[in-house]
Amino acid sequence: MALLTLQGISKHYLQGELQVNALSDINLNVEEGEFAALVGPSGSGKTTLLNIIGGLDAPTQGLTQLNNTDITGLSEAELSDFRLFQLGFIFQAYNLVPVLSALENVELVMVLQGRHANERRERAEHYLQLVGLQDIMQRRPSALSGGQQQRVAVARALAAGPRLVLADEPTANLDSENATALLDIMHRLSHEEKTTFIFSTHDPRVMERAERIITLHDGKIVSDECHQRHHEPTI
Amino acid sequence: MSALHALAVFNRLPILLFMAWRNIWRNPVRSALTISALAGGLVMVILYSTLLEGMTRQMVKFATEISTGHIQVQRQAFIDDQDLYATLPWSYLQTLEQQFPNIHITPRLYSAALASAENTSTGVLIKAVDAQREAAVTQMLSHVRRGELNLAVAETLDDGLIRYNVVIGAQLAKNMNLEPGSELVLVTQAADGSIGNALYRIAAILKPLEPSFDRMGVLMSIEAYQQLMYLQDGFHELSIKLDDATSLEDVQAALDTKLKLIMTSQSLDALGGVPVVRNWRQITPAIADMLELSKTMNFIIGFIVVGLASMGMLNTMLMAIHERRHEFGVLLAVGMKRRWLLLMVLFESFFLALVSAFVGSFIGIIFAAYFEDHGIDFSASMPDGYDWAGMVFEPVMKGYLEPAHVVNACVLMIFVTLFASLIPSWRIARLKPVEVM
Ligand SMILES: Nc1ncnc2c1ncn2[C@@H]1O[C@H](COP(=O)(O)OP(=O)(O)OP(=O)(O)O)[C@@H](O)[C@H]1O
Ligand SMILES: [Mg+2]
Repeated sequence: MALLTLQGISKHYLQGELQVNALSDINLNVEEGEFAALVGPSGSGKTTLLNIIGGLDAPTQGLTQLNNTDITGLSEAELSDFRLFQLGFIFQAYNLVPVLSALENVELVMVLQGRHANERRERAEHYLQLVGLQDIMQRRPSALSGGQQQRVAVARALAAGPRLVLADEPTANLDSENATALLDIMHRLSHEEKTTFIFSTHDPRVMERAERIITLHDGKIVSDECHQRHHEPTI
Repeated sequence: MSALHALAVFNRLPILLFMAWRNIWRNPVRSALTISALAGGLVMVILYSTLLEGMTRQMVKFATEISTGHIQVQRQAFIDDQDLYATLPWSYLQTLEQQFPNIHITPRLYSAALASAENTSTGVLIKAVDAQREAAVTQMLSHVRRGELNLAVAETLDDGLIRYNVVIGAQLAKNMNLEPGSELVLVTQAADGSIGNALYRIAAILKPLEPSFDRMGVLMSIEAYQQLMYLQDGFHELSIKLDDATSLEDVQAALDTKLKLIMTSQSLDALGGVPVVRNWRQITPAIADMLELSKTMNFIIGFIVVGLASMGMLNTMLMAIHERRHEFGVLLAVGMKRRWLLLMVLFESFFLALVSAFVGSFIGIIFAAYFEDHGIDFSASMPDGYDWAGMVFEPVMKGYLEPAHVVNACVLMIFVTLFASLIPSWRIARLKPVEVM
């Protein structure tokens, strides 16, 4: 049984009289531990798809099964809990709460999960160390670079212990050096933590670090191929 | 399940409080402006209630210390139509003084008369008091403007007639062109039906205290009254002062019971009616009503001022929430519950209100203390103060800082602002996590 199963997912928007088919009949399986990229031109439906997988948006049609749960049937409160315990999110930018330090940001999701203070602190420090930020944990986001902020977001997503991490263009605001470094960290942690990653990107240098590339076009999957990695992680 | 729920909120409360506290300092200028508006409103409410409290206390003081006293005893017929014969025997006073050693009692007698001096004459109201006892009950006699307080015999004439000193109101003195030392003739119908008349010497003129006394009051000793009126057997009124005003109702009831008891052994004539014991609220219902009204006024003014100031809070929270749509979306996406977010925003308003309450009451108390000490001085334009609703107010309007008012104003402000911030918080309920991707 795959970790994630999408069956006949469609999403339509009405723009006045006109119907926009953001996604049409998407069928997809993602196995545990995969490191998959969602690519495609602007407007092809990457964000829409990630939102539906993350339970942030409901499909017009179709079924989303994650970890044997049909999330299309969950209430708002159940979805919120589901996201809290099963999913990690990394957004394009401004992931962090500005009034909390890096450490407190990583701890925040675990506070919401109701974990004990000691465990929280230990895990937060551990994951911040894994993303290479052990020396600047006390800084607020405004005192961190864009790349460092995204690494805090990775640490936050993983410290909560999710089954699946969703990242919508996590490198869009980074230069290519920082982008590839972030991808390498994500890839390494995906292996070490056996955590599944699905991320969207435009950047070819980021794409080539994926093990599977799913290409969308006009809301349809036009190709889905496994990829031999050209580079081994450098860190 | 609900216990678990409560526990969940309890566990997350510290981080919500922590974030809320930090959030209000994100935009220090905006927070400072909001706090100034709320604190300023609070200062105004505190000052208003301080002045109002000062005024009402002056009214109560007027009622209890200057003219009425805390409690009065009169016979029904005297209350109804100033019946000259509705007196209580002097033995009643003695019995009451023996039975109630801890309260101050003073007897009074009244009569209408015609006063003439040189070439003017006018109707006056004679008030006869026992100067010593009166001084223990009211401050009436200590408010001398000119002359010297003296109700004793002025001189004994060759033909054996006695001339007494009297004290009159300021307006009467002005109208009749009288000075201390002037002579005054009073003509009245005495208790035996004869025409009583006598010559008096003005010893002093009183400051305006009670408008009716000011215009037509003539104060004399009980001895002088008895000489003029041939009314020896009793008095019209007892005025009573308590050292502890909180026991008002108890003492009133005790006096009532005692008087009923005295009546069984020393019976009264039927015409004058029973003795009636009334407290100052019953005697001057206008003042009691004013006190009630001032409480309501305090609340209404407080509500309006605080309500206006909390419009600032509403605006601040609207902006703060609008600016943080993305941030809230991220928090909702990662699993923050909407109600926790709502709670955090309410904590933010609460903290703003709390800081405002501290700042506002601190400044308010400083200003109020000034008004308590110095007051607002109208003495340049109104040296005698002003009379209003049958009372005379001192020319320096002093405030009274009632701590309970400060606490009430703070609580009112915190409630009103929390209520105002519920409106913008409503936006959180409609926020979609998807908008942040
Ligand atoms: N709320 C909406 N209302 C109407 N149309 C929408 C809405 N959200 C997305 N769309 C449309 O759905 C299609 C897919 O959008 P989506 O944001 O998923 O694309 P994307 O692949 O993420 O693009 P990009 O690379 O620019 O982020 C687009 O044509 C877009 O205009
Ligand atoms: Mg997108």
